[in-house]
Amino acid sequence: MPMGHTATAQAGSGGLTATEHRLANGLRVVLSEDHLTPVAAVCLWYDVGSRHEVKGRTGLAHLFEHLMFQGSAQVKGNGHFEFVQGAGGSLNGTTSFERTNYFETMPAHELELALWLEADRMGSLLTALDDESMENQRDVVKNERRQRYDNVPYGTAFEKLTALAYPEGHPYHHTPIGSMADLDAATLEDARAFFRTYYAPNNAVLSVVGDIDPERTLAWVEKYFGSIPGHDGKPAPRDGSLPETIGEQLREVVEEEVPARALMAAYRLPHDGTRACDAADLALTVLGGGESSRLYNRLVRRDRTAVAAGFGLLRLAGAPSLGWLDVKTSGDVEVPVIETAIDEELARFAEEGPTAEEMERAQAQLEREWLDRLGTVAGRADELCRYAVLFGDPQLALTAVQRVLEITAEEVQEVAKARLRPDNRAVLVYEPVTDEDATEDTAAAAGDENEEAAK
Amino acid sequence: MTELATMDFHSRPQAGDAKPWAFPAPERGTLDNGLTLLRCHRPGQQVVAVEVLLDAPLEAEPAGLDGVATIMARAFSEGTDKHSAEEFAAELERAGATLDAHADHPGVRLSLEVPASRLAKGLNLIADALRAPAFADSEVERLVANRLDEIPHELANPSRRAAKELSKELFPSDARMSRPRQGTEETVAAIDSAAIRGFYEKHVRPATATAVVVGDLTGIDLDALLGDTLGAWTGSSAESRPVPPVTADDTGRVVIVDRPGAVQTQLLIGRVGPDRHDRVWPAQVLGTYCLGGTLTSRLDRVLREEKGYTYGVRAFGQVLRSAPDGTGAAMLAISGSVDTPNTGPALIDLWTVLRTLAAEGLTDAERDVAVQNLVGVAPLKYETAAAVASTLADQVEQHLPDDYQATLYRQLAATGTVEATAAAVSAFPVDRLVTVLVGDAAQIKAPVEALGIGEVTVVAAE
Repeated sequence: MPMGHTATAQAGSGGLTATEHRLANGLRVVLSEDHLTPVAAVCLWYDVGSRHEVKGRTGLAHLFEHLMFQGSAQVKGNGHFEFVQGAGGSLNGTTSFERTNYFETMPAHELELALWLEADRMGSLLTALDDESMENQRDVVKNERRQRYDNVPYGTAFEKLTALAYPEGHPYHHTPIGSMADLDAATLEDARAFFRTYYAPNNAVLSVVGDIDPERTLAWVEKYFGSIPGHDGKPAPRDGSLPETIGEQLREVVEEEVPARALMAAYRLPHDGTRACDAADLALTVLGGGESSRLYNRLVRRDRTAVAAGFGLLRLAGAPSLGWLDVKTSGDVEVPVIETAIDEELARFAEEGPTAEEMERAQAQLEREWLDRLGTVAGRADELCRYAVLFGDPQLALTAVQRVLEITAEEVQEVAKARLRPDNRAVLVYEPVTDEDATEDTAAAAGDENEEAAK
Repeated sequence: MTELATMDFHSRPQAGDAKPWAFPAPERGTLDNGLTLLRCHRPGQQVVAVEVLLDAPLEAEPAGLDGVATIMARAFSEGTDKHSAEEFAAELERAGATLDAHADHPGVRLSLEVPASRLAKGLNLIADALRAPAFADSEVERLVANRLDEIPHELANPSRRAAKELSKELFPSDARMSRPRQGTEETVAAIDSAAIRGFYEKHVRPATATAVVVGDLTGIDLDALLGDTLGAWTGSSAESRPVPPVTADDTGRVVIVDRPGAVQTQLLIGRVGPDRHDRVWPAQVLGTYCLGGTLTSRLDRVLREEKGYTYGVRAFGQVLRSAPDGTGAAMLAISGSVDTPNTGPALIDLWTVLRTLAAEGLTDAERDVAVQNLVGVAPLKYETAAAVASTLADQVEQHLPDDYQATLYRQLAATGTVEATAAAVSAFPVDRLVTVLVGDAAQIKAPVEALGIGEVTVVAAE
């Protein structure tokens, strides 16, 4: 039987609370009540992502995610989409390096339907999975790859930079979309084996957030999910540990038909879940988050050498996170001009650290981003799952913003000094070529995409 | 081979009792300076959304200066009488706020989002931007150069490139709508701070502006806050600009924008049709959803879920510009991308879907699911303050009553299968569609010509 404990609201949680429960088959359940709007979000995180894929089968986790929408024992064909949308709900699934998530946001009175649907595919997907859906979704995913990466300028930058930043053989060396060759090679039996290995109640966390009655919700969860057998035997993902810094500057120059020169770089940063990662987030925000950041002021406003310049953070728990630099040059400006300016700004920041006002701005920005994420039931459900799956404690979602606000300027300076250095980055340079001498097909603005979605 | 599952199965659960939900009704008022104000309290929404609409439509841009409204919109956040451009950006971010501004056919729109605890600060900044923008020469020069740098990026993006070509095809060449919203290299290069200030002085004033404020306003004295901020903005009185009618040529034809080597073809198939003032709108929304609103709609059922030609194709109706007298128009279109070798087969299937719809109509089951979705998702769709503010602002911009959205939900629920079919068929007539294809002409031209969907011309990508 489910057992749970009730958490009281903690400081900095905005009054939100969550309770945790575990079914006998190992399914972890997180519930959070909020009666402001008559909606309820269901989110299910499976602890499997592209880092679990093996050589020759990149893209399988994401392709499999698509297959989860192709029917199960009691749900015919596209029934999952039809039932949810017909009930006034919205839904999707996404695959990243570290997890696969599925979510439905429903009018509150249709919550039970979403639970029934998720349980049906968790327990019985293989009774419906066939060659026809495999072949069809393989084509759909290949077209997804073309649309989002191959047919837009700079579209494969993320893939190239990831491959540089994580060495050959590392579980994060390839991105969730996978390669065309591997998508072609995946078999129905691969998909079946993937399901049998990773899709089990004891490898998942279910969160339900919104206008719910927790007792009744828990009874539904027990009714629909409780009889799905748990199973062990999931292999641990390959070891993602790496030295704290790269130790040298890695570099690739891409000559492609793109509209302008670009300088992109990935810095190796602390793992998600650590104070140092939050400090890095603040450092990147001061340096390259928004239009008052140091890089924007220097490159776009003062030097006027760039059309856009910014930093982003790809938080990862099972491998070092990545600090993501993206600069598109202005006019005929050459890349070394940009690179010199960036190195100067990063060195100055490491030397001086952030000003008090920069800290205030960066913390205010990150605080608002958290308010946005926790401001919808779907966003809250996803964050609760994230902290439960990656860090073992969903309550951490409710206090995440508080932890960012506790970081000191000294910690921000320290992480910048240690990590934002030329010998700790992989650099990708784009040099435009004209149509005639292009060596590869043109590929755009996908930049920091790291998720694949089913629709 | 199938596998038997070992779980206990239960039959599909029945829905519980629906809880009442209605699209929020705003409170409307006017400040002393003539600014129209809509406010709406949304409990729990800690990030407040503020939208400001300015009666500065693109067709008001002086000849040869396309893009002046866009540069003006961007220049609002580049300094005021109190702050330099860098300081202004810093003050916004210090308040945890974001401020976006963009110019479109109906007018210029500023969107502020700020935590409720810092609403005063956010309102101060947006009011300063509107009341006393600096429009400094150097900042405008930078924005112009920046905009010129953006243009090649847009032309290289297949969906942006397709949209540009469709506008050029549909609208008469002397109509502002035929040209890019944010200007061309030639017109943008001609913009300077004097042009920005001239446009501002002619078209921006509180008397013809509207502000929409939505969020958790508990404990906030909004009237006092507004009095010190947007209420302190002054300007002459003026009538709203008359809205010119929209005309378009939807003779069936095909334009291929050539991108040699492209692995996919971007499709944009469109024409112009009724806007929200027309009684057909609810039926058109419903019919368009059945045609291509989601991956279980008719187009994706075939093109994606049966054939695998695409990641997804959507049909939609998007208001271009509305007038109080109902002479406005919406773009009705189908868009998506398909792999290059299957471009011909995908278009054959697409036209077959349209012909079948016209011949056989929608089913009652399709209509029911569409209504349940369109009406049922409302509480989800309008969970955030920003979503509510945006729709309220759309209503004002389109000269619709404040209860339009609430009424629309009732009308959708009352729309039958026959009406939805008729609306979809007249929205997407098979011989009155302009098809833009951004792709490899050498590979797709012949198969497209064979379809007989109109004359095929090929243009260069740049």
